[in-house]
Amino acid sequence: MFFQHIANGLIQGSLYALVAVGLTLVYGVLEVVNFAHGELYMLAAFALFMVFSFLKIPYVLAVVLTMLALMLLGYVLARTAIVPHLRRSFETTVLATLAASIILQNGARFAFTATPRKVIVPLEDVILSFGGVIVTGQRLLVLITAILAFAGLQLYIRKSRAGKAMRAASQNKEACRMVGIDVRRIASQTMVLGAALCALAGAMVAPLYDIFPAIGTTVVFKSFAVVIMGGMGNVPGAMIAALILGIGESLAGGYISIAARDALGFSLMILVLLIRPDGLFGRRVRV
Amino acid sequence: MKTSWIGHRAVWAAIALATMLPLIVRSNYLLHIMVMTEIYVILALSLNLVLGYAGLLSLAPPAFFGIGAYTSALLALRLNLPFWITLPAAGAAGLLFAAAIGVPSLRLSRHSFVIVTLSFTLLAQLVATKWTDLTRGAMGLPGIPTATLFGIPVTGKIAWYYFVLGITLVSLAFFTFLVRSRLGRAILTVREDEILAQAAGIHTWKVKLYTFAISGLLGGVAGSCYAHYITFIDPAVFDFYYMENLLIMVILGGAGTVWGVVAGAAIFNVVPELLRIHPELRTFLYGIVLLVAVSVAPGGLAGWVRDRRARKEAAAQQEGNHA
Repeated sequence: MFFQHIANGLIQGSLYALVAVGLTLVYGVLEVVNFAHGELYMLAAFALFMVFSFLKIPYVLAVVLTMLALMLLGYVLARTAIVPHLRRSFETTVLATLAASIILQNGARFAFTATPRKVIVPLEDVILSFGGVIVTGQRLLVLITAILAFAGLQLYIRKSRAGKAMRAASQNKEACRMVGIDVRRIASQTMVLGAALCALAGAMVAPLYDIFPAIGTTVVFKSFAVVIMGGMGNVPGAMIAALILGIGESLAGGYISIAARDALGFSLMILVLLIRPDGLFGRRVRV
Repeated sequence: MKTSWIGHRAVWAAIALATMLPLIVRSNYLLHIMVMTEIYVILALSLNLVLGYAGLLSLAPPAFFGIGAYTSALLALRLNLPFWITLPAAGAAGLLFAAAIGVPSLRLSRHSFVIVTLSFTLLAQLVATKWTDLTRGAMGLPGIPTATLFGIPVTGKIAWYYFVLGITLVSLAFFTFLVRSRLGRAILTVREDEILAQAAGIHTWKVKLYTFAISGLLGGVAGSCYAHYITFIDPAVFDFYYMENLLIMVILGGAGTVWGVVAGAAIFNVVPELLRIHPELRTFLYGIVLLVAVSVAPGGLAGWVRDRRARKEAAAQQEGNHA
């Protein structure tokens, strides 16, 4: 049973990582906490539900379409709620993204109602057993996708021009402006990248759980804990913290209680803030 | 900071008007909205103190509101304690929880503070829903006894209106006294320039912690009033819906002013009710209003009035110079 909990936790953790990495990336580059991040996840799940269940196209194609749609939304969000406020006080961007979150969540409530929806994919019926540890095909896909996504992300941030500009912006925005890097463009690109990762999470997990307009809030609640545990703006830190939280929650849920599982993220976040305010890994490793 | 932006006469006029209102308003429905407005004023002050004065965005007011409501309800239902004990207990619970959350979250950045306060609100709702032995979960706590004043139970909307009006006025007086006190000036200094405040010998972390704790106290008091007035609570008292309303009231009213926020609370409680906007549409519209407001008029109503007055004075001065 122990290894089963570890496996479940690993998969749950890789989901948290996909959501939290986008959040921490946007913070690391722009020093903006995007409170509408959970809504991107929720809308990705709904978008997948729409294209997959109504257009009846293959799952992989549906995931790609969902990601494209959410990247567009991420761009719109960046241009309306983040870029206009980049040089203003910190609460302006918080309030602007919070307002965007309210608009998106209540808009979804209008459009899709609060009825839980389900997406059924064939992979969820494939049951694999690894020495007694049982994993469905879809869950294994979540894990594999997350690993590939992070490899791709690291490559993008380290090697591409845009990725290098993002790292530059995270270190010194004034210097960026001086050498001709358009920080506003970087802001939009970072948001689009974060939205893409978040959309991937939403589209991967949609077949595992019920979909309703409030799911973003629950996920973002865990992601905030992950972002703080990993150190705000620290991308590798967020990945590791997400895995720690996923596995910890799985064990707490299995051996203690469901309430303990739900409260674990918050407790760990408070503990980290008390002991290591800069996160488990400090500020040394950044984007 | 010596005089507020409308001056004292207008304040007394507003208090007189608030006292007379039930003589004009006869409908129970309108009276209910007025009582809720008073409760919202206390809650709005709680947010205004941290956001407007200390420059810290707290998303925890619904948590303290709910904690106050549950503390009051449980003490009254389980231990049969009277209102004059449950109300201070609710305030104390809000204060203690705020202090406990403030100690870790105020150490790092203002961003982490926002994140922790939001997470705390979500956690509080989760605990109220899941800890069924204590809170009966989603079934809620019905039959909370009404408040008593010197042994006389407060019954009827008009009695409740005056009762909460008294508590609101005391809260307002406390608030105005606080922001003009030594601590209040320290709070403003911390908001304007934290490094300068430190250089001036202000223990900025302590000042922020006290401010947040007092905001928890106000939230708890508002929650207690709500629980005894409505006589039923469930985990929905922690709902983020309250936060959305509060942000609109405080930001559009003018964070960092006393009377602007009171006006904001009154306007954004009464107008949507009178227009009979569907609650779900209301939050949607509030989101849009909030986005536009922070983009266009970050100072809110009070800021707009102040700017206009400043511009008029500048224009008058220039005319004087020409003459």
